[in-house]
Amino acid sequence: MRALKIAATGMSAQQMRVEVISHNLSNMSTTGYNARRAEFADLHYQQVHRAGTISASDGTMLPTGVQLGLGVRPAAVSVNLAQGSSSATGADLDVAIEGKGYLEVTLPSGAAAYTRDGALKRSADGLIVTSEGLHVAPGITIPADAKSLSVNQQGEVYAYFDGTVPAQLLGQFTLTGFTNPRGLEAIGGNLFTETEASGPPLQGTAGLDGLGMLRQGYLEESSVDPIYEITELIEAQRGYELNSKVITAADQMLAATVQVR
Amino acid sequence: METAGYAVLSRQSGLMRELQLIANNVANANTTGYRQQGVIFSEYIRATDHGSLSMSAAHVRDSSFTQGAITRTGATLDLAIEGEGFFAVITPGGERLTRNGAFTTSAQGDLVTHDGYPVLSAAGGPVFVPPGAADLAVARDGTLSSQGLPIGQIGLLRPPDTKELERDGATLFRAPNGTGPVEDPAIIQGALESSNVDPVLQLARLIEVQRAYEMGQGFLDREDERQRAAIKTLFT
Repeated sequence: MRALKIAATGMSAQQMRVEVISHNLSNMSTTGYNARRAEFADLHYQQVHRAGTISASDGTMLPTGVQLGLGVRPAAVSVNLAQGSSSATGADLDVAIEGKGYLEVTLPSGAAAYTRDGALKRSADGLIVTSEGLHVAPGITIPADAKSLSVNQQGEVYAYFDGTVPAQLLGQFTLTGFTNPRGLEAIGGNLFTETEASGPPLQGTAGLDGLGMLRQGYLEESSVDPIYEITELIEAQRGYELNSKVITAADQMLAATVQVR
Repeated sequence: METAGYAVLSRQSGLMRELQLIANNVANANTTGYRQQGVIFSEYIRATDHGSLSMSAAHVRDSSFTQGAITRTGATLDLAIEGEGFFAVITPGGERLTRNGAFTTSAQGDLVTHDGYPVLSAAGGPVFVPPGAADLAVARDGTLSSQGLPIGQIGLLRPPDTKELERDGATLFRAPNGTGPVEDPAIIQGALESSNVDPVLQLARLIEVQRAYEMGQGFLDREDERQRAAIKTLFT
C-alpha cells in the first residue's frame, strides 16, 4: 500500500508549511524580518514501463509508459526579499535600509554577521551597537558631549555639538551585499551569516554599488502579510485534511482486501 | 471457471495503482508547477484454452498540461509561464524542462532553481545576474533587465508533443525527442504557477475508486461462495 506512504509525505509537507506560516506570523512585528515560504517538489517516479520501450506482446512502441510518483518532499524554504514598508520612529539611531544591502555587525566570537534591523543603540562607551549590544561595522564612537546625530543617505554619521562647533563626521556605515542573499543562514536575533551558497560578502557604500540607501528616523517593518499568511494557513489545513482522506480510503481498501476469504 | 476471478483481480490491481496516483496528486496539490496525472483503463485480452479471457489494464498517462492558477508572490525572481512552454534547466543527467519558476541566484550569480540547477537562456547558456544589479525586471518574452538595460534572456522551450514527456521528480520533465523554442513566450514576473491538481476531482475519484474496489471484493466473496456451493453439490 504505497498510497498510505505517499499521503503521509503529503501530510508532513502540509505540516511543514504550517510551521513556516506560524513562524512568519509570530515575526509579524519583527523589524527587518523577511517572510519565508515553503517550496515543495515531487519525489522520484517509479518507472514501471519506460515510454518508448517496445511492448513485448506485439512489438509496438509504448507511447507514454507507466510512471508512478512516490509523493512530495520539501524543496526549500525560500526567503522573500521584498522590501518591507518603512515606519517613522523619529529616533536618531534608527536607520532603515532602502535597498538590498545589510549592515555588518561583529559577533562576540569575532565573526561577522549581517542584519537589516537598523534599530541601533549607543553602548556605555559610546559605540554604536545593535539592540543586542553587537558592534556595528566599522565601529563608530559617539562623543559623550554630542547633542544630536544625523545619518545621511550614504550612511555618514555626523554629530552636532552645543555652541558654534561645526558638525563633525564620526564615520560611515558600510553596507554589504551578497550575490545570493537567499543563501544566507539565519542565526536568530535578526542576524544572518555568510554560507557557501550566498557567496562572499561584497562591501559597498550606501547610495552607490546598488545596495540601497539609509534613511534615518525610520525602521523597516516585517514584510509578513497577515492576510496572505492566513489564506495560506487555511489552504495548508485543507491540504492536510485531503491527504488524511486518502489515508482513510487506502485503509478501508486494505481492510476490504484483508476481509476477503 | 476461474476466469471471473482473474478479471476482477486485474481490475483490483488497477484500482490500487490509481489510488497510488491520486495519493501522489493530492500530496503534490501545493507543489509549484506540478502537473496532475490520470489513469486510463483499457481492455486486455488473453487467449486461453477455453476461448479468450478479457481483463483490464490500468495505464498511467494523461499528464494534464492545463494551466495552473497563477499566484502573486511579489518576489523578483519568481516567474510563471502563461500558456505553453517550459523553462529549461541543466541537471547532472542532462537538460530537463520545468514549469516551476521559483528561481534564485547561485553564489556565482547564475540563475538557478531551488535544487541548484542552472536555468538556460534563450541562447542556450546560463543566465547571469550581476550581484549589484538593481531594479531587476523580467519582460514577457523573458528578457532580463536591470535599470532598463537588458542583461540577458531566459529561454522557453517546448517538446514536439507534451504527451511524450517523462517525469523525473522535482517537477522536472525529460523530453526524449528534443525541444524547440516557444514562438510567443509569456512570462509573468513576481508570480508562480500553482499545481494544476483539481482537489475536488481527485476527492470524487478517490471515493469512486474506493467503492469500485469494495464492489470488486464483494464480487470475489460471492464468487468464492458460488464455487463452494458448486463443489458441494458436485461431491455430495
